[in-house]
Amino acid sequence: MFALLLSAAEPEKSVIQIMTFSQQPDWDEPWNARQVRRSTGSGFVIKGNRIMTNAHVVSWAKQIQVRRFQDSRPHIAQVAFVGHDCDIAILTVDDATFFEGLEPLPIGVLPEVRSVVNTIGYPAGGEQISYTSGVVSRIEIINYVQPGNRSLLAVQTDAAINPGNSGGPVIQDGKVVGVAFQGTPGLENTGFFIPPPVIQHFLKDVEDGSYHGFPQAGIRLAPLINPAFRDFLKLTDPTRGARIDTLTSDSAKAFFKEDDVLLEANGYPVAADATILYEGNQVNGGIAFSQAQHGAKVPVKVWRDGKELAIDLPVHVNTKDRLEGNQYAPPRYYVYAGLVFTPLSRDYLATFGQNWSAVAGIGLLYELFYRKNTEPDTARSEPVMLSTLLAHEVNANMEIKGRVLVDSINGKRIDSLADAIGAIESHEGSHHLIEFGERLGFECLDREAADLANEGILKTYGIQSDRQL
Amino acid sequence: MSPRFFISVLIGILAVHLMPAVADSSQWETSLVQIEANRHKYEAFQPWSRRTSSNTKFGVVVEGNQIVTTADYLFDHTVLRVQKGGRGAWYEATLKWIDYHANLAVMTVKQTSFWDGLTPVTFANPVPATGEARLVRWSDGRLEVRRLEINRLRLGRGALTYVDLPKLELDSEINGAGWSEAIVHENKVIGLTSAQSRSKCTAVPSFFIQSVLDAVAEDDFRGLGYFNFYWKRAENPAVLDYLQLPGNKRGVIVTEIIAVPGHESVIRPKDILLEVDGFEIDISGDYNDPEYGKMMLERLATRGHWAGDKIPMTVWRDGASMEIAFELVKADYEKEYLPSARFDRPPAYLMAGGLVFQPLSEPYLKGWGAEWKRRAPVRLVRLKERSATETDSGCVVLSLVLPDPYNLGYQNYRNLALESVNGRQVSNLHDLRQALDHPQDAFHVIEFMPGAATRKMILDAQLLQNATQRVMSNYRLPTDYVDVMAESAP
Repeated sequence: MFALLLSAAEPEKSVIQIMTFSQQPDWDEPWNARQVRRSTGSGFVIKGNRIMTNAHVVSWAKQIQVRRFQDSRPHIAQVAFVGHDCDIAILTVDDATFFEGLEPLPIGVLPEVRSVVNTIGYPAGGEQISYTSGVVSRIEIINYVQPGNRSLLAVQTDAAINPGNSGGPVIQDGKVVGVAFQGTPGLENTGFFIPPPVIQHFLKDVEDGSYHGFPQAGIRLAPLINPAFRDFLKLTDPTRGARIDTLTSDSAKAFFKEDDVLLEANGYPVAADATILYEGNQVNGGIAFSQAQHGAKVPVKVWRDGKELAIDLPVHVNTKDRLEGNQYAPPRYYVYAGLVFTPLSRDYLATFGQNWSAVAGIGLLYELFYRKNTEPDTARSEPVMLSTLLAHEVNANMEIKGRVLVDSINGKRIDSLADAIGAIESHEGSHHLIEFGERLGFECLDREAADLANEGILKTYGIQSDRQL
Repeated sequence: MSPRFFISVLIGILAVHLMPAVADSSQWETSLVQIEANRHKYEAFQPWSRRTSSNTKFGVVVEGNQIVTTADYLFDHTVLRVQKGGRGAWYEATLKWIDYHANLAVMTVKQTSFWDGLTPVTFANPVPATGEARLVRWSDGRLEVRRLEINRLRLGRGALTYVDLPKLELDSEINGAGWSEAIVHENKVIGLTSAQSRSKCTAVPSFFIQSVLDAVAEDDFRGLGYFNFYWKRAENPAVLDYLQLPGNKRGVIVTEIIAVPGHESVIRPKDILLEVDGFEIDISGDYNDPEYGKMMLERLATRGHWAGDKIPMTVWRDGASMEIAFELVKADYEKEYLPSARFDRPPAYLMAGGLVFQPLSEPYLKGWGAEWKRRAPVRLVRLKERSATETDSGCVVLSLVLPDPYNLGYQNYRNLALESVNGRQVSNLHDLRQALDHPQDAFHVIEFMPGAATRKMILDAQLLQNATQRVMSNYRLPTDYVDVMAESAP
């Protein structure tokens, strides 16, 4: 049955093998790069002579090679668009003849739970194309590993999805109903694919020539099940409405008030457990907002002071939490007198090793992931680390050798890397005073000696530029 | 050298090595007693549940029909018993005095026959900082005497306190030590063991024990005092230049003051601490102790001083030297925003409508196990960094919800730090109890600290009492409220 379906449409001809040579930066010594790594993935041809794949297949790529079905010739490809938040990328191929004779695969609709889907790709364990089949197990919002701090709609299947399958199509009735993208370590027969609503959102987003991402409402919903709480808010309808617990964006603060109850979002009634019924699936209500494009207005209905109220809520892509997720831009840094300053980020914390969340210490975890929620008044937009100390006579007597959070420099609170540079470069006193968080005290540098040593230190350690911003 | 002379020298060497162990035994048999401590053991997340636990440890007999031991594992005790000679009858003992920060306790036995044949020990002062010593303990009715090597005397965090105290470190191959075994040298006790880690044994040194016992006897023990500030070494000349200290490098630099309610600090961040109690402080933070050489300056807080004493200090501030008198802060768990310990009291809690509230404390966080700093919720562990103030003395958490129709929808919430109830700030269970007496328009409005899984809960005030009674009955709670100051019921 499976073979018959394939031979009718021959979608495997439009499935592409991708080989990526990538090089990640070293977040601890950010002017350095790690070893070049080779990895393979899959992709498929879409309209406009383009290849769709996963963002993680082409992240940090120095060179991307693509191969057609049963054709050993490699062709060089480029990234046209990449959405790390939804783990999708679009590639173009330098040689236009690459697409000759290839049919773009049409994008289908969200498959139904229990329906059969087929995956096609080039997973590890062999050189030839591979076909697997399974059923749609469930559809829900899950964390996307590529950004690490974004959750979007995904489909779980028991069809095998292994390394190398990433970016390959999931087919049903001759149409693409998903892009294979991640599994769950330790769980058998659970693979996930990115469904059509997310794919279509991405394609719509890039129509204007640039990618923005999936917007958020800037609110955190809490279930509103307890009858006393519903009475307290004078809610008359027992079937719908979840409480807006926290406002996380300035935009949301302009439209919502404390104790507002979200009754409806983007046309979907919101249940008391903060879910909506989406295409027959009960999923987290946040999806109602991420369906819109960046800057669009989403119609919502809220319950406030015993009355129903209609609001057109503008939604935006959240760019303020980029440090908390995996980043795909070169690390920012500034080197002065051997002191290396770089923003505290998830990527930086990963330099503490595989078990970084246990090793880095609660202070740094709190600063990056928690403070903005628990103590927003003292949170920093870009916490800065003194990541390491490049040994030199001018700094040799400093007790602190790195891996500490900078609190202030020359009396100025450091909220960003720009603050650190400004505080050092604008200082005219005899000494630089650098104060640290976590009860680590402070250190001083003789300013004149530090200025004189700076150039030589950069040369000694082979650092081409004292900054990357 | 004739063979006869060589043999006699060899025998002489063997005798020197074997004799002390044999000679020691009889002396300590009449001075070392075994202690059985039966205790309550509470469950962190179900504070009304208690189990029993029993430990055996040791103590030494001192003048006045008393036994001195470490305080560890005597907390929350129900029955204390002692045994002499390593076997035979057990005698009921009572606690005369205990201080957990000092990790010392004094016990006695009413039955006079117990004291027959027992000999008080002498505590060595000073203690040897090098050389051999013996560990003495009862083991299966026999006195076990084992050799140890004195490694060093140093300052370190006490077993049950955040105060830095003198510790005697010894190298040993002994297993399972740390139960207040006596460490002896020649005819005197030089310490009582407090811990063992691999081949290292740690003991409370005898000079510290004696100073505490003397103060207790004279009714002058006012608790341990400590310096409530952090300092850094003055090894970076640029820092000393910045602070305008002329001449040689010396002193240490104060970096942060830990706020303590009711204590106004005379020392400031960026002061250079040059002298403490008449001793010069070097750039590593050490002073030259007349008996023990280089020791960390924190020792000066307990060297002949107790909480409340004023210690003269010389500091360098704003380019000039000045004399100050630093009042030693009393070590007190209850002065911490998040108490590091709470002994001899059952865990406090308040249950309202199935919602269980507990004071946040280190024992609570230790419910996550030995690796609690890594496993407990970060936002709760982080509260350990807060200092208590006059207006915000602590934190109460909603620890769990016992499911009942009354609290439908809240059952999955736990470990939420409380901010206010009915508009009233809540720092302790007493605040919470009072706040629950003031509902707002027939509702209780419970608000949690930012960052919690929910910021707010609402309860029906009229139905609360019935729901509380129902939950107590269903879940077998003996009471809905145990105050933080409640006495432990033996």
